[in-house]
This record gives sequence, C-alpha cells and structure tokens, in this order.
Amino acid sequence: MYDLIIVGGSAAATAAGIYAARRKLNFKIVTTEFGGEVATSGDIENWPGIVHTNGIVLASDFRKHLKSYNVEMEDGATITKVEKMPDGSFTLQVNKAGNGTTSYQSRAVLITTGVHPRLLGIHGEKEFFHKGVTYCTTCDGPLFQDKMVATIGGGNSALESALMLNDIAKKVYVINRNPAFQGEQVLMDKVQEAKRIEIVYNANTTKIIGDQFVTGLTYDNGDGKEHQIDVQGVFVHIGMVPNSGFLDIVEKDRLGQIIVDGLCQTNISGLFAAGDVTNVPYKQIAIAAGQGGCAALAIIDYLNKQKA
Amino acid sequence: MVNTKKVIVYSTPTCVYCHAAKEFFKENNVAFDDIDVSGDPQKAQEMVEKSGQMGVPVIDIDNTIVVGFNKPKLKELLGI
Repeated sequence: MYDLIIVGGSAAATAAGIYAARRKLNFKIVTTEFGGEVATSGDIENWPGIVHTNGIVLASDFRKHLKSYNVEMEDGATITKVEKMPDGSFTLQVNKAGNGTTSYQSRAVLITTGVHPRLLGIHGEKEFFHKGVTYCTTCDGPLFQDKMVATIGGGNSALESALMLNDIAKKVYVINRNPAFQGEQVLMDKVQEAKRIEIVYNANTTKIIGDQFVTGLTYDNGDGKEHQIDVQGVFVHIGMVPNSGFLDIVEKDRLGQIIVDGLCQTNISGLFAAGDVTNVPYKQIAIAAGQGGCAALAIIDYLNKQKA
Repeated sequence: MVNTKKVIVYSTPTCVYCHAAKEFFKENNVAFDDIDVSGDPQKAQEMVEKSGQMGVPVIDIDNTIVVGFNKPKLKELLGI
C-alpha cells in the first residue's frame, strides 16, 4: 500500500513529487507520458528564475529534479480507473502499454493529468491528421518550410503558433472566429507586426480539404459565401480539454474540470487534484507547479490525520 | 546483445516525441541515424514518401516504418 500515487507527469506532479520526497512519503508517479503539455510548449519565458528556456528542456529538468530525490516514476503507464475502497484507501487500475494491466493500492491519490488539445470537429480534420493537420506547432511546424499554412485559434497558443510559423512558412493565415485576440499583449503586438502573417477575424473554419495531403480550408465569415484559402498546413490551437474522463467518482464542472478547493481537495476525501485538469483559472506552468506543492502539503496533513 | 538492425529517426529539434524516441534508443544501446528534417527539405520529402504522412518522428527499422514514438512497437521490432 502506497501513501500516495501521483497520476500524471508534468509541472504539478513534479512539484508534488519534490515535496512528497522531502517528507519521505512512500509514493510513486504514474504517467502516460512525462512532460505533458509543458514539453510541447516551445519557448518558455515566464517560469520564475529562468529568463528563457523551452518545453523540452524544462520537462527534462523536471525529470532530473525528481531523479535527484530518487522518486519512483512509471512513465508509459495509464491509470484507467480510480476506486474508493470501504477502508478509505484507493485502488487504481493501471494499463502498462504492451505489458498488460495491474492495480495499485494507495491511501491518497493526486490527479495531475492535465489537458489535451480540443478538436475542431469539422469535415477533413480526422482524415488529414498528420497529413497537414496538426495540434503541435512546435513538433511539426518545421516541416512546413516555405509552405502556405493556417493557424486556427484566438488565444496565446494560437499566437505563439503563428509567430513560430512566421519564421518557417511562406505565409501564415490566422483564422480567428472572434473579432479580437484574447492573449498577452506582447504576443498580439508581435503578430500584428509579423510580415508573413495575415489575420482573418470573425471566421469559422468549416472544412479541411485535400487529396492525399491538405490542400486548403474553407471558412464562413457570416457573409453567406464560402471562402476558401489554399494551405498545406493547418495548425489547430483552439483550447484544451481536461484529461479527466477516466475518473467517474469525482465532481467536475461542465467543462470536465475537476472541482477543487484551496487545498486541492476534491469532493472525495483523500482524492486530490492539481494543475490544468482542475477548475483553477489560468492554465500556466507556474500555477500548476504551485498547486502541486500545495496539494502535496495538504496530502501530508491528510495522511497524518489518518494515522492519528 | 548488439542490435544489428538499421535504425533511422526522422525528427525535428523541437519535437518532444523525437527526443523521447532518441532517449529510448540510447537507453537500450540501439545505434541510429538521426535525420533533422527541419533543415533538409529533401529528407523531409523522403520521410513523407516513406510514411505517407507529415508528423514526426518517423522511425525506419530495416524498412519497417513506425509513425510516432510507439514504444511497444519499437520494442517488438528490435526484439528488446
């Protein structure tokens, strides 16, 4: 029986892991893929103490920090179910990719499973996934050198995508369904000034078209006509969906975010959550890490009270 | 055991799954050629032709193509 199992492996899990290790809890981290959305973040310039880093380096630094405390980590294993037992402990069903399934018992559980990209849900999106359609500009952007591309979205991640593509592609359309961007002013200014970026406001992307690969997309801007642009790449950055579908015992909001209080407690005693998967506003690495630390300390209190 | 299969990784410097795949090969002492397709349009085209798609990484193990960092599949192909 573990004291704690941390499900997920990025900023919140790392902070929680560090605090739990320093208190010598008997715990492990179980994650489908260490690094999560941090790893695909591209440039990072708002992580305190580090003027400039990038997602790959920061994720690797997180891993090193956990290793320095000899934290036990299972990378490549997915928790498929969490059940509360009559004695107050938890049973977690684990799918070890390619190595069958097993289960773990733990007195407390911390969910830090983060988010995954939201899909457009339009014709051609699934068909052309990785044939021009991608959700990771930092991963796949470099393949679109001197090509025509479009970024879809209106927030920071769309702005960052467009700026990265501005240095790679021949031309970048930014398709924003709203009349303005919602993001950091510094990014909006850079996008406005970028030479290869053309912004299309009030435009709903309706279809992705192509043959073997993407050749274009269509959008609707309310004028009754279908507009088509020729692009070889479509970069979708329209927000995130919480990775909370595997949990059926916990209270969530209408977006699927796990509802937590100021101590990262859910409605189930002993089950905690931290980071982007929760209803805490602003999905930021610094906020996820702060919540991870808070959750670990709250869990230590919880375990101490259990022992008493 | 020394792996004798020819392994090619088509990657970009900013792709986290490419890094993960290369780490996996290093940990398992598998020698591989790393091709950075971001700076080489010809090799990028070769990758697209081999895999029929544009996502990285693409891993070529003795002409069997694996798209993405599919650890179980790589283990199976390498017999590790």
